[in-house]
Formats: sequence, C-alpha cells, structure tokens
Amino acid sequence: MTTCVVGLFHDPQSALAAAGELKNAGFETPELMSPVPIEGVEEVLGKKKSIIKNFTFFGGLIGGISGFTLASVTAILYPHPVGGRPIITIPPYLIITYELTILFGILFTVLGFFISSRLPAIRNRMYVPEAAVDKFAVAVTCENSEHRSRADAIFNGAGAEQIRDMGEED
Amino acid sequence: MEAENNKLGYTDIHEDVVRSIVVTGPKYYATLATAGGLALVCFFFPWFYQLYYGIGAAGMNHPGVWGTYLASFIFWIGLSHSGTLLSCVLHLTNSSWRKAMYRSAEAMTLFSLVVAATYVFVHVGRPWFAHWTFPYPNQWELWPNFRSPLLFDVMAIATYLTGSTIFIYMGSIPDFAAVRDRTVGWRNTMYSLLSLGWRGTDTEWHRLHWAYTFLAVLIIPLAVSVHSIVSWDFAMSIVPGLHQTIFAPYFVVGAIYSGTAGIVTVMFVLRKYMGFEQYITKLHFDNLGKLLLLLSLLWTYINAIELFTGWYSGTSDEYEQLSFKLFGFYAPLYWEMILFCAVAPLLMISKRFRTSFVPMLILSIAINIGMYTERFLIVATSLPRQYLPDAWGFYAPSLVELSIMVGSFAVFTTLFLIFVKIFPSVSMYEVKETMETPKLKPAIPQAGSPA
Repeated sequence: MTTCVVGLFHDPQSALAAAGELKNAGFETPELMSPVPIEGVEEVLGKKKSIIKNFTFFGGLIGGISGFTLASVTAILYPHPVGGRPIITIPPYLIITYELTILFGILFTVLGFFISSRLPAIRNRMYVPEAAVDKFAVAVTCENSEHRSRADAIFNGAGAEQIRDMGEED
Repeated sequence: MEAENNKLGYTDIHEDVVRSIVVTGPKYYATLATAGGLALVCFFFPWFYQLYYGIGAAGMNHPGVWGTYLASFIFWIGLSHSGTLLSCVLHLTNSSWRKAMYRSAEAMTLFSLVVAATYVFVHVGRPWFAHWTFPYPNQWELWPNFRSPLLFDVMAIATYLTGSTIFIYMGSIPDFAAVRDRTVGWRNTMYSLLSLGWRGTDTEWHRLHWAYTFLAVLIIPLAVSVHSIVSWDFAMSIVPGLHQTIFAPYFVVGAIYSGTAGIVTVMFVLRKYMGFEQYITKLHFDNLGKLLLLLSLLWTYINAIELFTGWYSGTSDEYEQLSFKLFGFYAPLYWEMILFCAVAPLLMISKRFRTSFVPMLILSIAINIGMYTERFLIVATSLPRQYLPDAWGFYAPSLVELSIMVGSFAVFTTLFLIFVKIFPSVSMYEVKETMETPKLKPAIPQAGSPA
C-alpha cells in the first residue's frame, strides 16, 4: 500500500530544503508544486532534460521541407511558364519555406510541451489548490507507515505549515 | 515597481485578478453594449450592404483600385506588431517590467490580427471565394500562385495568427489553473478545460519555460517577416512611390511604432478602468516612452530616406509622385502625419512627459492617427497616379469605407472587452515572481541511508 503525503510550506526555500532531504533519505524523487517557478530546483532534485528542443528542431525541418515541396510541386504539376523564367523560382519559394518552417516549429513545440509535461491531464491527479495561490507544496510517496513517519519528521523539521494525507495511490 | 510591489503579497494579486474577471459592473456592460452595437451598425451593416450591392459601394475604381480597406488592413497588422514581438524580446532579455503588461499587449496583437484578417474579406469583394487562396487539392485544378506576394501574405498571416494565439495561450495556462479554483459554474468548467489540468509541478514549470522560450525565439523572426511581406504587396509592383527597397524595414519599424503606441493606449485604459494601478505603473510608461522615442526617430529617418531616394532617382515619375504627396491634394494629411509621428514624439525626451499618464495617452493616440494617415497616403497617392498623366485618377473613400473604418475600432474594442473577462489580463504568476518571497538559504541536506 502506498500513500501520498504533501507538506505545505510558506516559502520556496523551506519547501526545496524538505524536498532535498526527502530525496537524500531515499524516498522516490518528491514532486514540488508552486504558484511560481522555483529557482534552484535542479540543484536539489537533479538536472531536468526536456525533449521539447527536438520537437522544435524537427518540426522546423519538416515545415521547411514541406513548404518548399508544396510550392515547387504545385509549380511542376500546374506549370505556368512566363517569359522563359524558371518553373521553380527559388527566392519567392524560400519565403513560403520560411513561413512554414516557423509554423511547423511552433506547432511541434506545442506538441512537445504537451507530451513532455503530460498535459492535458485525462485522469484526476493529486492536486493542492493552495499551491496555485501562495503555498509551496512537496508531495512524496510513502510505501509504509515507517516511511510515513520519517516523511512527517522531515516535513516538520523543515518547517511545514501543514502536512496533508492525499490518500492511497494505485 | 519593486518598491510598490513589495507592499503586495501573492494573495493580493490573486484577488485583484480574479476580481477583474468575475466582478462585472453595469459600466462594463454599457461599454460592451455600445462597442458591440457600434460594431454592428458601423462595420457589419455597411459590409452587408457592400456584399449586396457589390464592391462598387466602396469608392475604389480604376486606377485607384486599393483604398482604405487596404490601408486599414496594414494599420491593423501594424498594430498587432508590438504586442507579441515586444513580449518575446523582453522575455528573452529577462526584463521584469514586461510581466505586468504583456498579457494585454499580446491580446492586442491577437485581436488586431483578427480585425486585419476580417479586412481582407471586406476588401476582396467576393469573400466566399477566400478559400481559393489556400493550397488544398481541388477538382478545378486551381492552385494558388506561390510567386505572388499576396499568397506570401496568406501564409505569413495564417502563421502569425496561429503563433500569437498559441503564445498567449501557453503563457496563460498557469493563470487559468489559478483562476479555476476560485470560480464556480460554467466559468469553472471553462477554466478547467483551458488549464488542461495544470498543477504547477516542478516538471511542468520546467517544460513551460522551455516551450515558451522556443516559441519566443520562433515568433520574433516571424513578426519581422509578416510586415516585410505586407510591404512587398506594394514594393513588388512597379508603381512610383511603392517600388522601393526600403519598404520592408519601413513597414516593420512603422508597425512596431504604431503597435507600441497602441500598447500605451491599452495600458492606460486597463490601469484606469480595470483597477490595475498597482501593477501598471509609471515605470511601464517610462520604458514604453523611451522605446517610442527611439522608434519615432527611426521612423523619421526612414521617411527622410524615402524622400531622398525619390529625389535622387532623378526620374520624372518619382518627382511627380513626391510633389503630389508633399504639396498635392493630400498634402495636409502628409504634414499632419509628420507632426504626429515625427515632431510631437520628441516631447518624450523629457522624463516628466513620459511618466505623465494623460499626456502619454494623448500622444499615443496621435501617433496612431498619424500612422493610419501614413498607410492611407501610401495607397491613395501612388496607385491613382502612375506613369501616364492621361490615365490618372483620384481616390477618396466612400461613406461605406469610412463607416467600416470607424466600425473596425468598435470590433476591436468588443473583442478586447470580452477578452478581459475571460483571460487574466495581468500575468499572475509572473507578477508573483517579481515579488519578495522569504529568502532563506536552502539547508544542505545530509546524505542519509535509504529508508
């Protein structure tokens, strides 16, 4: 049986300290919830890597290729020769390429954001409403009652205002 | 701003923003009804009239086939240029003064673009064929010509509209989540859907930061390209007064200039009527004023260059075009533009002027009147007077065109009024970031044995 425990803090530094202690005490990496991004999370909980940049890059690449292909294939399929000028005219088609590079880059970035941050949430997730206003929450999973009491001790030691039992987890 | 914000806590900004959304007084409804009514009477009715009687209802006729519709289109695209662009640049340069104002500035971008896009439909005369501009396979073997600047426009504006919408939405997700818990009924459902289940975890913040930064990086060159492309609609024609290489930077600078002036106007209104005095301060007006001053100088310089290249070309058609612009029928409009956009903004050299709200409001409106005039002159003094004096004509807007021009402001106002009741118009989480939080040194955790 695993339960989820949340410690609520008044300031980001104490929350961060508690999270660091929990991590070092061997708990699963705790999750922080805050109304603003907290500075220095990565120093305490480890470096975060996101795959968004790959999405942006490949999105831009796909967009660029499809932009140029769209314009040039259209010109080849429906040729309209004017005064002996080339059918595939590079300068104007580069503009279409440029715009579609950016369009696809943007769309893929959003896709990357959704995938990497696991949004939109389909199922209910553990959530602390105060963490959207002015409280900083640290959530940790406890596997048994001994873990639970250790977590409580760490939260209290770091100056938690409140410790909340979020119930059982699957 | 720091000093003023220190007095406020996280809950204060939360309360203020939620209040701005859920508490709606009769004044708001009266303004909304007036704006909506004006939009209907001045914008949509004349448009329907024009659809019914044909494009002849507008004053455009050969050779002046472009009129105020196109001038307004450029004006609104230009107005859209500062919001998202400025917000992206300030985000990347980490300027904290951006935080209280960028949401509304981006909304301005979005709705200006919507109005501009509507103008395209008004201008084309037969809007039911608008889908012909999009490159989709069809049985008529009808494919758009990708060499035409008008098609560049379609691509650029569609991308810009998509990009700006996504950018404003992404930045608002945490705020939707914060408002979600404070609302009930349909609002709660709406914000639950809009916030996508945002919880504010460290991972979510990290991902949002990067996604937002990448979007900002992508949108800056996009915004620059959009108005360059709009300028090529003109510059790629071989018309005296339009066929100039300086047109792209000229349009981009003009766009950012009028957009920044638009932001000043919107900030004034938000500050005064939405109760955001504590968040939108003299600092914002001071900084925007400095930016406006710089842009006005750039704009003046490019205008001087335009005159110079026309004179230096030594060709009679350019001379004729210049002399008509400077001393012809529309000369008063030209000198009004110079007064409003090149001379009056010099007042902003004084800090006292920049930090006075009402004078800045008046100046920002004057700048946009001047900028509208600029776009009108580009259209009205060039096309009707090309190479052959024999084929010269004259363009003046008809009542339908004038009414639609007035109505477009009402459409914009209506959209903006709806926006302030749906979106948190000040970015809560970023204003919170600028506030003091208790700064304790993080305790270095001791390595312990596994539990």
